[in-house]
Amino acid sequence: MAQKSNFRIIINRLRQNKRAWFAMWIIVALAFFALLADFISPYHYDEQNRTKSYHPPTAIHFVDAEGRFHLRPFVYNYSLVDPVFKRYEPDTKKIYPIYFFVKGDGRLRLFGTDEPSRLFLLGSDLHGRDLFTRLLYGGRISLSISLLGVFVSFILGLLMGGIAGYFGGKIDNILMRLGEVIMAVPGIYLLLALRAIFPVTLSSAQVYLLIILIMSFIGWAGLARVIRGMVLSIKEYDFVTAAKAIGSGHMRVIVRHILPNTLSYTIIAMTLSVPGYIIGEAALSFLSLGIQEPYPSWGNMLSAAQSIRVLTNAPWILIPGIFISITIICFNLLGDGLRDAFDPKATGGVEIK
Amino acid sequence: MRGFKWVITLLLLSGVLIGISCTQKKDEKKTVVQDSEPKYGGSLVIDVISDPKSFNPVIAKETSTTAVTGYIFEGLTQMNPFTTEIEPHLAKSWEFSKDGKTWIFYLRDDVKWSDGKPFTADDVVFTFNQLYYNKTIPADARDILTIEGKEIKVEKVDNLTVRFILPKPFAPLLFSMGFDILPMHVLEPVVKAGKFNSHWGVNTPPEQIVGTGPFLLSEYVPSQRVILKKNPDYWKKDKKINRLPYLDSIVMLIVPDQNSSLLKFQAGETDMLSMRREDYVVLKPQEAKGNFTIYNAGPTLSTTFLIFNQNPKKIQEHKWKWFTNQRFRQAIAHAIDKETMINNVMFGFAFSQDAAMTPTAKFFHNPNVRKYEYSLEKAKKILLEAGFNYKSGILHDKDGNPVEFTILTNAENNERVNIGNIIRADLQKLGMKVNLQPIQFNTLVTRLDSTSDWEGVIIGLTGGIEPHNGKNVWYSSGQLHMWYPKQQKPATAWEAEIDKLFDEGASELDSEKRKKLYLKWQEIVAEQAPVIYTVTPAALYSVRNNVGGIKQTSLAGVIPYIEEIYKK
Repeated sequence: MAQKSNFRIIINRLRQNKRAWFAMWIIVALAFFALLADFISPYHYDEQNRTKSYHPPTAIHFVDAEGRFHLRPFVYNYSLVDPVFKRYEPDTKKIYPIYFFVKGDGRLRLFGTDEPSRLFLLGSDLHGRDLFTRLLYGGRISLSISLLGVFVSFILGLLMGGIAGYFGGKIDNILMRLGEVIMAVPGIYLLLALRAIFPVTLSSAQVYLLIILIMSFIGWAGLARVIRGMVLSIKEYDFVTAAKAIGSGHMRVIVRHILPNTLSYTIIAMTLSVPGYIIGEAALSFLSLGIQEPYPSWGNMLSAAQSIRVLTNAPWILIPGIFISITIICFNLLGDGLRDAFDPKATGGVEIK
Repeated sequence: MRGFKWVITLLLLSGVLIGISCTQKKDEKKTVVQDSEPKYGGSLVIDVISDPKSFNPVIAKETSTTAVTGYIFEGLTQMNPFTTEIEPHLAKSWEFSKDGKTWIFYLRDDVKWSDGKPFTADDVVFTFNQLYYNKTIPADARDILTIEGKEIKVEKVDNLTVRFILPKPFAPLLFSMGFDILPMHVLEPVVKAGKFNSHWGVNTPPEQIVGTGPFLLSEYVPSQRVILKKNPDYWKKDKKINRLPYLDSIVMLIVPDQNSSLLKFQAGETDMLSMRREDYVVLKPQEAKGNFTIYNAGPTLSTTFLIFNQNPKKIQEHKWKWFTNQRFRQAIAHAIDKETMINNVMFGFAFSQDAAMTPTAKFFHNPNVRKYEYSLEKAKKILLEAGFNYKSGILHDKDGNPVEFTILTNAENNERVNIGNIIRADLQKLGMKVNLQPIQFNTLVTRLDSTSDWEGVIIGLTGGIEPHNGKNVWYSSGQLHMWYPKQQKPATAWEAEIDKLFDEGASELDSEKRKKLYLKWQEIVAEQAPVIYTVTPAALYSVRNNVGGIKQTSLAGVIPYIEEIYKK
C-alpha cells in the first residue's frame, strides 16, 4: 500500500514540473511513433527511388495550378531536371491526392499517394529512400538499443554493487577495482576497442545484441559504485538482520530486501544515463561499426551527412541529428524532474521504508 | 597493401598524379586554354592529404611520397599525357636491334644534377643494377623490370650511351624506362654501406636530396607543408629558349582529409583542387566570385568492380559453384544499375565501364566488348536457364540451397559503399539474400590477399595505359588475380588463354598485332565476367584563374607539364 501511494506522490510531483512532464510525453510520443513505424511510415525503409535521389521534402498543396481548391491535400510528381545539382521540377498537370489508411506492400499504412508520386515528408537520401520512414525505423533501433542497454547494465550494476557492498572484504575489493579499471578508460575508446575484438562481419541481429552487450559492459561500473555505498549502510538496518534471521539466503537478502531500497536512486540514474547510450550507439553506427545498411539507425543515417555537399545542398539529411538531440534533452529533463520528485527532503517525503 | 604495389608503381610511371615533365616536341598538339605570355616567378600552392614517408623514390610505396619525389627525379622516357605515346626525356633518342633484344639509349648531354655534377650513363647503369635489381632493396620496379624471371642487362657504352640487353623481346620496355634515375655519386657509398633503405628519410637536410627534376626540395615541416624550389639549372627550355620552370616554388599544404582540401581552396589558400564529384555542387556557384575555373578532364583510370571468390575450398562448396559459374556472374552483371550509380553516387560525373582497359587508355581500349545492360528480367532469365529456381520468391540453386552471400567493401570509401548498396538492392530483387558489409581497408586487403575468407568484394584499382602492367591482375599466377590469386596452373581454359595472350603481348613488337592480342583479352574478360565492372569517375579540377599553363588531359589532370605552369 505504502509503495502505491509513494508512486502517486511522485507522479503528482513530476506533473507539477512542467518541463519534465512535457519531456516525458515527447519521449512517449517518440517511442509510440517508433513502435508503430510499420503503420505510420508511408514506405519500406529500404525502398530505393533511384530517380529521386536527395529529393527535398515534398510540398503538400491544397490549391492546384489553376487555382482550384481541393479539400483533400495533394502532391505533385517531381522529375529530376539536373542530376548534378539534384534539382526537381513538379509536373503541375496531374495532382496526386493524399489518401489515408491505404494498403501498400500488403500492409495498412496511415497515408500514401498513388504511383509514381512520392510523399517525402522529410525529403529523401542519396538512394532516394524516404527519410521520414527511415527516421521512424531508425528510432526503433536507436531507442530500443539504448533502453535495453541501460536495462542490462543496471541489472549488472545493481548485482555487482549489491554483492560488493553486502559481502565486503575481498569480493568488494575485486569488484570495485574491476569497475575502476573500466571507468578509467574513456568511454568512447573503450567502446571502439571492444567492438574491434569482435568480428566485423556479423548479421544485423548479432550486431544489435553486441552493441547492447558492449554498452552494458561499459555502463555498469559507475552505478555499481554508488549502489555499493548505499548497500553498505542499508545492510546494517534491522530488517536485513531480520531477513537473515529467518534464514533467507544471501542472494535473496540482496535482491529482495536490500536492492529495492535503492530503487529511487536507480530510476533517476537510469533515466539520466539513457542519453549516453543513445550517443554510444550513434557513435558506433556513425563510424560504420554499429547498425549496418540497409537497416537505419539515427547514427548511421547521420553518417550520411558527413560531407559539405550534403550540408549545403541537402540539409534535411541532418534531421536524425536533431532527433538525437531532442531525445537526449528530453531524457535529461525527465531525469532531473524525477530527481526532484524522489527527493525525500521535499514535502510528503518518500523515504527508505 | 603488398598487392597494390603495381597500382602505385603505375602512378609513378605514368605521372598520373603529378605531371612530371616532358620535351617540347609535341607543342602543336596541345590546345592552349590560356592566352597570356608565361612569366617567371610566383609559387603554386596545392594540397596533399598525408605526409610523405620518405624522399626515396625507389622504395616509395605510397602516393604521398611519390607526389613529392615526382618533381625532383626523372626517368629516361616519359609518357605524353595527351597522346599516351612514349617520348624522350633524359634519353634524347633510342634504337633497337631487329630481334628486339638489344636497345641503345642516347642520353641528353645538357642535364646536370642539382649539386652541379653532370648526368651520365654511369647514373643509369647504377640505378638499374645497384638499386632496382638490388635484392636487398624492396623496389617495386623490380617486378615490372623482370622479364619471365630474368633481369635486363644494363651496360655503359660510353658516357652518354647505355645498352639494355633483354632475355626476350619486351614490348613495354619503353614504357618501363620512365623509372626515376638517381645520382650515383651521391648514393653509391650509401648502397655499399647497406644503408640505402633508410637513406633520404624525411629528416634529411633538403640540399642532400640531389635530382635532375624541375624542382628541388626546400623545406619539409611535418603535418604542415612541403616546399619545393625551382631547380635553376633545369635542362628544359621553352619555345623562346628560356630556361624552365617558370615557377619559383611549389608549396604543398598537408591537410587531414578531403573536406579540409575543399575548405582550404574555398578560403583561397590553395591554387588548385583535385575535386571529388560531390564538391562540384559546392564550388560551381562560386566560380566567378572565387576567381577559379572548374575543369572536367574526362574519365580517370580508376575502376570500381565486383568480384566473387573463386578460390577452391576456401568457401562453402555450393557458393563456390555459383561463383565459378559464368552464367551466374553474367546474370549479376546484368543487375548493375550503372545509370543510377553515375547519377546518384557520382553526381553525373562518371562513365560506364565495360572493358578491362578504360577508354582513357585510348590505344588498347576495346570499345566492342560484350556489354551488360541493366535488366533484371535478363538476369532472371539467365539464372533460370542456368538451373536456378524460385521457391516463394527466394532464389535457390539446383541442389536446393538458397542464394545468400556477403559482399565486402572498404568502409572508408563512401562511393564504393553507396555503389554496393545499389547492387545489394538489385540482387535482392533477384531473390538473393545479400549482406553488404563495409569493413576497414586493411582488413579487406588481408582477406583478399592471404586468408581468402570472403564471398563477394567491391573494390577498385587504378589501371594504366600499358596493359602489360596489369599482368599481376590478369595472369593466373598473379598476386592480384583477386578472384583466385597465385594459381599453380590456370584453373580454367579462359584463364589459360589470358595467360597466353599476356605472354605473347609482352614480346610482340608490332604494335598493331600487339593491340589485337589485348583486344582479345578484353573480350574474354567481358564474356567471362570474373570482374564485374561498374563506373569510372571523371577527374574534376578547380584551378585559380591566375594560374597559367593549364591544359586538360585525361592522364595527367590539368597540369600536363609542371615546369610550364606560371602565375599571371
